[in-house]
Amino acid sequence: MGSMLGDWPSFDPMNFSQLRPSDPSSPSRMTPVTYCPTHDRCQPPPNQVIASESRNILLRNMYKRTEDKLRSKRPASEILITDQGLKHPRTSTAESPF
Amino acid sequence: MSIWNYVVTAHKPTNVTHSCVGNFTGPQELNLIIAKCTRIEIHLLTPQGLQPMLDVPVYGRIATLELFRPHGETHDLLFIATERYKFCVLQWDPEAAEVVTRAMGDVSDRIGRPTDNGQIGIIDPDCRLIGLHLYDGLFKVIPFDNKGQLKEAFNIRLEELQVLDIKFLYGCAKPTIVVLYQDNKDARHIKTYEVALKDKDFVEGPWSQNNLDNGADLLIPVPPPLCGVLIIGEETIVYCSATAFKAIPIRPSITRAYGRVDADGSRYLLGDHNGLLHLLVINHEKEKVTGLKIELLGETSIASTISYLDNAFVYIGSSYGDSQLIKLNLQPDPKGSYVEVLERYVNLGPIVDFCVVDLERQGQGQVVTCSGAYKDGSLRIVRNGIGINEQASVELQGIKGMWSLRSATDDPYDTFLVVSFISETRILAMNLEDELEETEIEGFCSEAQTLFCHDAVFNQLVQVTSISVRLVSSTSRELRHEWFAPAGFSVNVATANATQVLLATGGGHLVFLEIGDGVLTEVKHAQLEYDISCLDINPIGENPNHSHIAAVGMWTDISVRIFSLPDLNLITKEHLGGEIIPRSVLLCSFEGVSYLLCALGDGHLLNFVLNMNTGELTDRKKVSLGTQPITLRTFSSKNATHVFAASDRPTVIYSSNKKLLYSNVNLREVSYMCPFNSAAFPDSLAIAREGELTIGTIDDIQKLHIRTIQLGEHARRICHQEQTRTFAICSLKYNQSSTEDAEMHFVRLIDDQTFEFISSYPLDQYEYACSILSCSFSDDSNVYYCVGTAYVMPEENEPTKGRILVFIVEDGKLQLIAEKETKGAVYSLNAFNGKLLAAINQKIQLYKWMLRDDGTHELQSECGHHGHILALYVQTRGDFIVVGDLMKSISLLIYKHEEGAIEERARDYNANWMSAVEILDDDIYLGAENNFNLFTVRKNSEGATDEERGRLEVAGEYHLGEFVNRFRHGSLVMRLPDSDVGQIPTVIFGTVNGVIGVIASLPLEQYTFLEKLQATLRKVIKGVGGLSHEQWRSFCNEKKTVESKNFLDGDLIESFLDLSRNRMEEISKAMTVPVEELMKRVEELTRLH
Repeated sequence: MGSMLGDWPSFDPMNFSQLRPSDPSSPSRMTPVTYCPTHDRCQPPPNQVIASESRNILLRNMYKRTEDKLRSKRPASEILITDQGLKHPRTSTAESPF
Repeated sequence: MSIWNYVVTAHKPTNVTHSCVGNFTGPQELNLIIAKCTRIEIHLLTPQGLQPMLDVPVYGRIATLELFRPHGETHDLLFIATERYKFCVLQWDPEAAEVVTRAMGDVSDRIGRPTDNGQIGIIDPDCRLIGLHLYDGLFKVIPFDNKGQLKEAFNIRLEELQVLDIKFLYGCAKPTIVVLYQDNKDARHIKTYEVALKDKDFVEGPWSQNNLDNGADLLIPVPPPLCGVLIIGEETIVYCSATAFKAIPIRPSITRAYGRVDADGSRYLLGDHNGLLHLLVINHEKEKVTGLKIELLGETSIASTISYLDNAFVYIGSSYGDSQLIKLNLQPDPKGSYVEVLERYVNLGPIVDFCVVDLERQGQGQVVTCSGAYKDGSLRIVRNGIGINEQASVELQGIKGMWSLRSATDDPYDTFLVVSFISETRILAMNLEDELEETEIEGFCSEAQTLFCHDAVFNQLVQVTSISVRLVSSTSRELRHEWFAPAGFSVNVATANATQVLLATGGGHLVFLEIGDGVLTEVKHAQLEYDISCLDINPIGENPNHSHIAAVGMWTDISVRIFSLPDLNLITKEHLGGEIIPRSVLLCSFEGVSYLLCALGDGHLLNFVLNMNTGELTDRKKVSLGTQPITLRTFSSKNATHVFAASDRPTVIYSSNKKLLYSNVNLREVSYMCPFNSAAFPDSLAIAREGELTIGTIDDIQKLHIRTIQLGEHARRICHQEQTRTFAICSLKYNQSSTEDAEMHFVRLIDDQTFEFISSYPLDQYEYACSILSCSFSDDSNVYYCVGTAYVMPEENEPTKGRILVFIVEDGKLQLIAEKETKGAVYSLNAFNGKLLAAINQKIQLYKWMLRDDGTHELQSECGHHGHILALYVQTRGDFIVVGDLMKSISLLIYKHEEGAIEERARDYNANWMSAVEILDDDIYLGAENNFNLFTVRKNSEGATDEERGRLEVAGEYHLGEFVNRFRHGSLVMRLPDSDVGQIPTVIFGTVNGVIGVIASLPLEQYTFLEKLQATLRKVIKGVGGLSHEQWRSFCNEKKTVESKNFLDGDLIESFLDLSRNRMEEISKAMTVPVEELMKRVEELTRLH
């Protein structure tokens, strides 16, 4: 148990070194100043006003799917052909002029 | 009409919901940041302990609070998300000492089912994104760009619908979350996902773990080098990573909070539902986890949050009891506990019920709350103002002034009390038996009224009468020297300190004397154009015995002037305005700021900031303390100086955070006060009032006083019985040792002075007390306690059986007199026309109190009214009954005597889920509902059609941001009928977060004025994090969001007083109302609470 409890991390060894505990039966008073900001930096920089993407997640997925389809159609047309070529070697050979 | 309402907080929230530790205010400063639902507190860790820095109001209910540090930052930023789907990132600017908003935004979705298990907000440890789980089936991502700027947020579909917890894993190349969820067979599993930011989608993560502990509820991500996650269940704790799985059994418990101890994540503090604190250790060999170990450390308040601070000190934030600062000791105490509680911080939450009583019978309300829950349940007596604890008193009529004197200059205690009357002066002193008895100071003139007295240097005393100034030895008590007023002149007013005397005679003559060893020297004389009404030379400069300025109040031109000493040159002249002369001036210093206080003959007080070098008076403020002339006197308590303003409404003026505050003293009328610090009565005050001289000590100087009565059980209902001077509470006690059916419900009788249990009545098994009332019945002079109960059976959705129990207090015991079975839970009881009105499930039921032949009484059902979902809250006024329904808002019923029937008169057709109702006046009813809103409805008696008359029209709407459990008519402050605020009716409310608030119904003129002030203040006082006050206060539930109406935010309005002079002037200009007028009107409002 001793080893588990020892060696507590310390950021500043002085912290709490002079703590005079108040009577635990009478609660401590901690009344910080209430912050009442009047400066303009409560507003974030204009580019840091964050909103959610306006497109609904469902629509985004549908668009993405169609985009994916389109993408996989055009530049991958060769792949498609080779793909087919691989899958149907016979027909391709059959259609071959050779 | 009570339509125009002003809502203000008398006691701020104290329920600690979140806390975190980091370097927020500077790279070398370690801060504790605490969230109390709608407020954030920033504390600094210092050698002396926790030092409060700032209390930051947030325009939202805080749902998540996290500190994080983006790459390249030297200190941490604070991320806050609110329950209404706003978020902000805050940064501390050390130079300006301001909280600056780095980013903010709205992350709400138009469609989506809000999560049942609360909102989750987490930040990737490598600061690549913020993740939010706000709606079932969706995970919202706010990505960071490489400069640490936030970008547009987007949703990712999350397959798991019943999410219990989500955390980011450490040490992953791609941001990876771990999700703890429950499937539709109620089994619990975890799963990991990588967040593919580019594709805006999840990729199946590196690992998952099925079929965990059925009570698994909390994930703790483990930082590098170990990484992985801890899964905290009710019976097991599991460590899980891609390569390891370790589990240990634990004693059954529900872990509510955890705090990481070591940066490498090898130790954690766990707090459970019983307030037990455990240490969980991950044993490892280098980076390989070899096992887990858990040890009980001791008991704390039931923790809602745990933050390891530094050097074995830990902050325990609590929702159910007081929060604490604890220390973890290496060796156990005799009880085997390693926990030492060093400080505790009051928490009134949750306030489940309360009552307003006048225990000291002095015309001032005190609130007694049922606070806390489970083992941390308590009663709290909350009182406004400062009490005087009477030590001794004597009857003495016609006191005209009082001063205490020491028998030697270096004596720490006062010996003499000089009491002045119209034509004589009497000296009281402590004798050897520590009793006050009359004595003599031979050198004093006892046949004349004393105008002023003071201790002087060289063991001397000074007495000023209308004809002379006498310097007397305090040891021999003999006259050493005397200065006489010139023939034909008499001294009107005088003041002195240890080395100086300043007096004024008729004709505007001002004379300044200096005190030497056995000699009074007239140093300076000045002739002013008018008579002098008051003077002061209280030393507030560096020399405690001597002042270099004098304050003088004048007749005729109604001014206050500052003169230099000793040459009596006029430095400053300030016209007070009006026709009321200053009656008392005082130079004083609080927290290093010098002030001139000037009290007028009509109970007003002006205060100025005084520049000690130039004598300049600035920052003039005027407040109304009472209606009679005020005399000002300083006194010390607990090493701080305060001012006592004696008048018909005695007040203590003190300073907190460099702002002057005014606290009522709980005495009716005080004509004179002087500090009297004798050996027998240290730190006491002598107070002259109503033919009596009282010596007493004074409470701590603060506005609200809270006394705690720990119960060790959960009090849920309370009521007071004046006749028997008792409280009765309904409480439940949890038995922690056994697991099942360990709840016991009681009705307990408590003495209203000692707060001790004097009698208890145990309820049956499964029987809960739901309501309590002190009442009497027609044709019976006894007063009774009535208790409504419900039998809560595990198999029933709603109770079908309950009881009404009628008790009488006899010989300090609760005696059951009558008992009536009901067909449901008795949610509410009210005294009604000499009968008993009960709300039982869907029904409102009226019972008569009938005398049986054998002389005993019974409750007999008379009539009832059906038609509610659950009638939970009932208030009555005359024959009218206002019902707050579980989900059908407010309805108005009427009791018809002739027919002996209860009928519905009108209802509000909105679907509000009610949490409290109250009747403000004949026509206006106040309600609080489930979504933290307040509203008022109006009876429409003038409606043209039945349909119109049958509709309660919504009159006011407001988002309070607090869950109100109870409204009660009453006031925390003494109400004087002749003051303006004394006319304003008020309702007090208590909330789950421990807020005590006041709702004041204002006249229209005042409301309109304050509404304009509020609108102006909104432009000047900015919402922290860029959050809008207007949006925050808008009434908002699942169905609608509408602008607040007919309610004003008193907290915003009263923060006017915290503004700098320039800002006040800005507002004054916009309002075209002088600053002083604004200040006076707002100060008056602060006297409502």
